[in-house]
Amino acid sequence: MIGRIWAIALNTFREAARIRVLYGIIVLVVGVNLLAIVLGQMSIHEEARVARDIGLAGISLFGSLTAIFLGVFLLYTEVQRRTIHAIVSKPIERWEFVVGKYFGMVVVLTILVGLFAIAMAAMLTLQGVGISSALVKAIVLVWFEVLTVAAIAIFFSSFSTPFLSGIFSLAMWGLGRVTPDIEAAIEHGTPWIRVVAKIALEIVPDIHLFSPSGRVVDGATVSVHADFITWGYVGLASLHGLGWIVGLLALACLLFQRRDFA
Amino acid sequence: MPSDIVIDVRDLRKTYRTPFRRKKVEALRGITFGVERGHIFGFVGPNGAGKTTTIRTLMGLIRPTSGSATILGHAIPSRAARFKVGFLPESPYFYDYLTIGELLDLAGRLFGIDRATRKQRADALIDRVGLGRARGQSLKKFSKGMLQRAGLAQALMNDPEIVVLDEPTSGLDPIGRKEVRDLIIELRDQGKTVLFSSHILTDIEAIADQVAIVARGALQSLGTPAELVKRTVLGIDIVVRLAAEIDATTLTTDASHVRRTADELALTLAADADVDAWLERARQAGARVLAIEPRHETLEDLFLRRVGSADA
Repeated sequence: MIGRIWAIALNTFREAARIRVLYGIIVLVVGVNLLAIVLGQMSIHEEARVARDIGLAGISLFGSLTAIFLGVFLLYTEVQRRTIHAIVSKPIERWEFVVGKYFGMVVVLTILVGLFAIAMAAMLTLQGVGISSALVKAIVLVWFEVLTVAAIAIFFSSFSTPFLSGIFSLAMWGLGRVTPDIEAAIEHGTPWIRVVAKIALEIVPDIHLFSPSGRVVDGATVSVHADFITWGYVGLASLHGLGWIVGLLALACLLFQRRDFA
Repeated sequence: MPSDIVIDVRDLRKTYRTPFRRKKVEALRGITFGVERGHIFGFVGPNGAGKTTTIRTLMGLIRPTSGSATILGHAIPSRAARFKVGFLPESPYFYDYLTIGELLDLAGRLFGIDRATRKQRADALIDRVGLGRARGQSLKKFSKGMLQRAGLAQALMNDPEIVVLDEPTSGLDPIGRKEVRDLIIELRDQGKTVLFSSHILTDIEAIADQVAIVARGALQSLGTPAELVKRTVLGIDIVVRLAAEIDATTLTTDASHVRRTADELALTLAADADVDAWLERARQAGARVLAIEPRHETLEDLFLRRVGSADA
């Protein structure tokens, strides 16, 4: 089982590594970090804050967009190009194929987030700012955010076209980022807004958990620039992401199991 | 069914619904057949007959609406049923960024074959299908014929007991088709069972031990070529040498398939025609007999008859 999943993951990595858009995204992230330096210089004694904020936002934005891009295309193109015929006709379970595809994406996205983080660390070092444990925790959380978004994209891709999967994934990611606002809508909104907000809260992962900086956690305002969350929080948030990843992949496997490849 | 049936298909049905109007389309309408161990089983039918749907159902790509099938005693679409089977899909598409060696390595990994055996088998198969010179090229640079060969190689990577080939000679030139036919015979000689589909009747007639003709999702005929094709004489083909200036009207009156060239006349007389009397008339007209041959029913005749009656 492990060998088959790994074979698919390795092949997915090979496939993704050939997508030139990814190299464009890496260049873009380096560019964002350079922009952070320029913006930092324009600020008054806030160079480090600006560099950290823009760097983390860049990893979150471009990492999640890459996850959606890979998730909606990699599974769909297997069916569309019929490359899947020569694969699932071999003694591999369909769920192993879906999980293998996801793990292949995990490898690609982990390398990307790693490169983004290295680029950010290099920029911060150039500015004479140290790398704190708060920053490491923030990067771990962003990494889990990206992996959760990848699972969302794989889930939609198991039964829908890339265009629709992309829209659904973006919507779910966007809603997941603003869960505190959805909670506020439940408290203060009109009755029908409350109903919609309650439903939204139930069907989207709480992606906001992965970017707590600037928000109140356990009664205290946390920030990567000062007091930040504990490793315990990072663990719990990661478990929340892991739960969604497992659930979404299980659903994707069930849907994929029922498909005909005509 | 006898115990040496390795592929047993019973009343297999597949019904699709069209995307918007939800109209029912019956792709398979109760197909039943068995493939004996060590035989070459030819699956023949026009485009859209249900050949590929049957094969894809056997390989677990499509779920049947009803009916059942087993491969080596294992119900489809279980993993066990696919374990001893090699499969070449129709117009195969592979990851075009891989080389032939990497494609075979991936196939080997999915069968759980160890690294050393994968390498050894891949090298042997690449040479066997004649792709030794293309070893370093990515599949993107392969011609259709080369991709077909690559597909055959990946189908044999697990040293299968059963080989299922969907249109294996499609896209190949005459030499390539002959090589594939030879390979199929070689596989049978090694004790493997081969199920292959084709709409090229000469390929089927040349090598199949058993033939199934399908049309409109249903089996029209099943048996050995000798059982299916009648040995009765359908007509007499005659070729004579005859000078161009001689009027041949009296010779062609009761004939069919008449062809006249500068110095030859070819035609077919009915099976019950008086050939002696015709030959006498031909000699009197100055013709010299070049060939006389009885015309038997061919698989093509049977195919056209069966498919025609299914369409009616």
